Amino acid sequence: MIDILDFNKDRNDVLRRILPKIPYQICTRTVMDTTDPAITFNDEGVCNHVLDYEDYLKNSKPDPERAKHLMKQMVSNLRKDGKGKDYDCIIGLSGGVDSSYLTWYVSQKLGLRPLVVHVDAGWNNEIAVSNIQNIVQKLKLDLHTVVLDWEVVKDLQVAYFKSSLANIDIPQDHAFISCLYNEARKYKIRNIINGNNMSTESILPSTWGYDASDSIQIKSIHKKFGSKPLTDYPLMNPYQRFIFYPRILKLRTYSPLEWIDYRKQEAKDFMIRELGWKDYGGKHYESKFTRFFQAHYLPEKFGYDKRKAHLSSLIVSGQMTREEALLELKLPLYLESELNEDRDYFIKKLGITHKEYESIMHLPVRSYSEFPNSEDLINKARKLYRPFKLLINLIKK
Amino acid sequence: MTTIVDYGMGNLGSIQSMLKKLGETSIITSDPYVIEQASRLILPGVGSFDSGMNHLTELNLISSLNKRVVQDKVPILGICLGFQLMTKSSMEGTLTGLSWFDAYTVKFELKESIKKYVLPNMGWRKVSIRKEIPLFEGLDDDSWFYFVHNFHAVTDNIELVSMTSEYGYEFVASLTKDNILGVQFHPEKSHKYGLRLLQNFIRYY
Amino acid sequence: MFRHRIIPVLLLDKSGLYKTQRFLNPRYIGDPINAIRIFNDKEVDELAFLDIGATIDNRNPNLAVLKDIASECFMPLSFGGGIRNVEMIREILNVGVEKVVINTAAVERPRLISESAQLFGSSTIVISIDVKRNHFGKPLVHIRGGRERTRLNPVDWAVEAERLGAGEVLINSIDQDGMMQGYDWMLIKSVSDAVSIPVVAAGGARGIIDFARAIKDYEVSAVAAGSCFVFQGKHRAVLITYPTRMELETALY
Repeated sequence: MIDILDFNKDRNDVLRRILPKIPYQICTRTVMDTTDPAITFNDEGVCNHVLDYEDYLKNSKPDPERAKHLMKQMVSNLRKDGKGKDYDCIIGLSGGVDSSYLTWYVSQKLGLRPLVVHVDAGWNNEIAVSNIQNIVQKLKLDLHTVVLDWEVVKDLQVAYFKSSLANIDIPQDHAFISCLYNEARKYKIRNIINGNNMSTESILPSTWGYDASDSIQIKSIHKKFGSKPLTDYPLMNPYQRFIFYPRILKLRTYSPLEWIDYRKQEAKDFMIRELGWKDYGGKHYESKFTRFFQAHYLPEKFGYDKRKAHLSSLIVSGQMTREEALLELKLPLYLESELNEDRDYFIKKLGITHKEYESIMHLPVRSYSEFPNSEDLINKARKLYRPFKLLINLIKK
Repeated sequence: MTTIVDYGMGNLGSIQSMLKKLGETSIITSDPYVIEQASRLILPGVGSFDSGMNHLTELNLISSLNKRVVQDKVPILGICLGFQLMTKSSMEGTLTGLSWFDAYTVKFELKESIKKYVLPNMGWRKVSIRKEIPLFEGLDDDSWFYFVHNFHAVTDNIELVSMTSEYGYEFVASLTKDNILGVQFHPEKSHKYGLRLLQNFIRYY
Repeated sequence: MFRHRIIPVLLLDKSGLYKTQRFLNPRYIGDPINAIRIFNDKEVDELAFLDIGATIDNRNPNLAVLKDIASECFMPLSFGGGIRNVEMIREILNVGVEKVVINTAAVERPRLISESAQLFGSSTIVISIDVKRNHFGKPLVHIRGGRERTRLNPVDWAVEAERLGAGEVLINSIDQDGMMQGYDWMLIKSVSDAVSIPVVAAGGARGIIDFARAIKDYEVSAVAAGSCFVFQGKHRAVLITYPTRMELETALY
């Protein structure tokens, strides 16, 4: 596994630095293009993401029979674990389409008893908040909110911004995961249900993102650019991530949206009709931070337009045609007035000046590999492991 | 570009914030020279009539305003006290106002009734549009604005009355005459309704 | 048409929002700037921010934070907490705040009310009165965030504040604060009957049911609340809510 990681890392770095000018090419089936520096195309001009998805369809995606079975199994496991308790599972609700629909599905369709958890990182959009309210009130579910200490999140977000990394959404994303696990532990709920689904999220180039669960990178960025102590930030370290939660607490995660015919537009229409749900525009725009991040920061500084990934996922799962996607991409990510407003808000929230903002935006782009991260740890472990293994072999002999 | 007159009275920051949201740059000034160059003016105001007139006098703004507004016919929006100063005089004080409107400012006369009408009239009130002017485009009799005042304008000249509201009885909420626009309520504190009104002001005047 | 104001009251300490119960045990609610943004989007009638640490710490209001907050607000904003003199009031009003809420300083130096009313207009001066009942149930005015008891009767003090030029009275029950069991009805009635300036009821509201009663039965001008706008459900999960226009019109009119 390490070898592949090394290869990707080297390749991405090489592609980004030594070959900055790759001739532009766009996939003939989706709208993914060479703004993903690691993209490859076959002879028909079809990109690797499509091929990966087709491979998933053929080899990994459960067929309807199997999907039904997995769903049944999950329900019975959850019911068993939840017997005599208040809740049989835990769900993270952001107010966005996936988590909202999931909450409805799990509680109404499957008849399970979820504890609904919302993590407030200080950037909630009013629409998201209103959606959460409507869902828990209408479906009569119990809500628990984790409010992150804003001063701590702010400091970490500023640190990430100063680092010139692409993934300045990691402080939020990491917290979303770690808080959910922590709540599961607190309420002694073993089963976590999330809204991951290949229907709308299958395509996301690794070059455009980085693993939000890497606590080592978070610590290193904080060390270099942060100013407040990190003690109140819900950091999930590798021990918790790989050993404590999965093996000692035996927490299990399920992604049931994988096992149904999940169609985004229909899900939205349904919720608008039945639950008073409101649409906030783009994917993940339920957070004001994420909207600015995806619609301006990434395209402006890094040249990535994440819409291409989201729309391509919808294309391969048959929810949108390539023509429709191309048309949508023609629309500006931001209206000028909206952009100004969001940018001003971003600057105000982070407590920086317009000048500081401009100068940081103009700093050269950096890669996650330039700062200590968990891959380094794994590499070091491997390096130690090899001689260790040799030693064991010698002893055995 | 909109020029907000600073005569030491009024919530200028809020007006500027709302203009900013509308994408309009604005400057806050108490300099008569700058006011004489203005292409669009806002006269805000919170406080008492005489205090307002005194401040305008002390800052030497009256002649500049008269020149720019009456002579050069540059559009001006008077808000709350700013609007009242545009009348001839007020029961609240003894000084003469700018007299741009043939109107007077009087105190609310509320009789004891079943409903307790306390003063000031403070809160969200519905309005009735009496003149279809560009300032009110997109607004209607279902629009709400935030009022906070003890005094209101009265006039014999019906043609000046562009909007009324009710508090115990019907009273003048807005007087307008060509480029001179006055509103008793606070658009900068009236959410989407205020945003619409200010947007109209910027767009059409 | 007449509409009574429904006012969320948010407590500020340093740069975070909090909510208390009986003025104790402050619980962290989050970032004030984002909260204001959400309330603004929900088109609430008016907002009040009270700095609960200011008087105790003898701190000056944080004007920078206040400016950030005020520029997000397209509805009337009141601010209070540690306001001691007219210079402070002037600075706060200049930053974009409509009304200042004075509590301790007014009790200690009542002339402050008339001075500020003269300078800035009555409608910008709100006198906030915190009340706790003693063992015999007698209501007494408390200052310094409820920590110090005075001998003042809230009704007498409200009448005096009106006489001195206050534009509005915010009457707050410490006993009921954060308990979500309804307002202190006797207290609300006694003050509302005694003054003819707007009275805002505060302390203990559960939601529309209490708003309706305060407005219809006790004829207050406005109602204020904290907990019912920031907590949701049996776990008191932090979530900002506000009744819709339709819900309010149905219940109140």
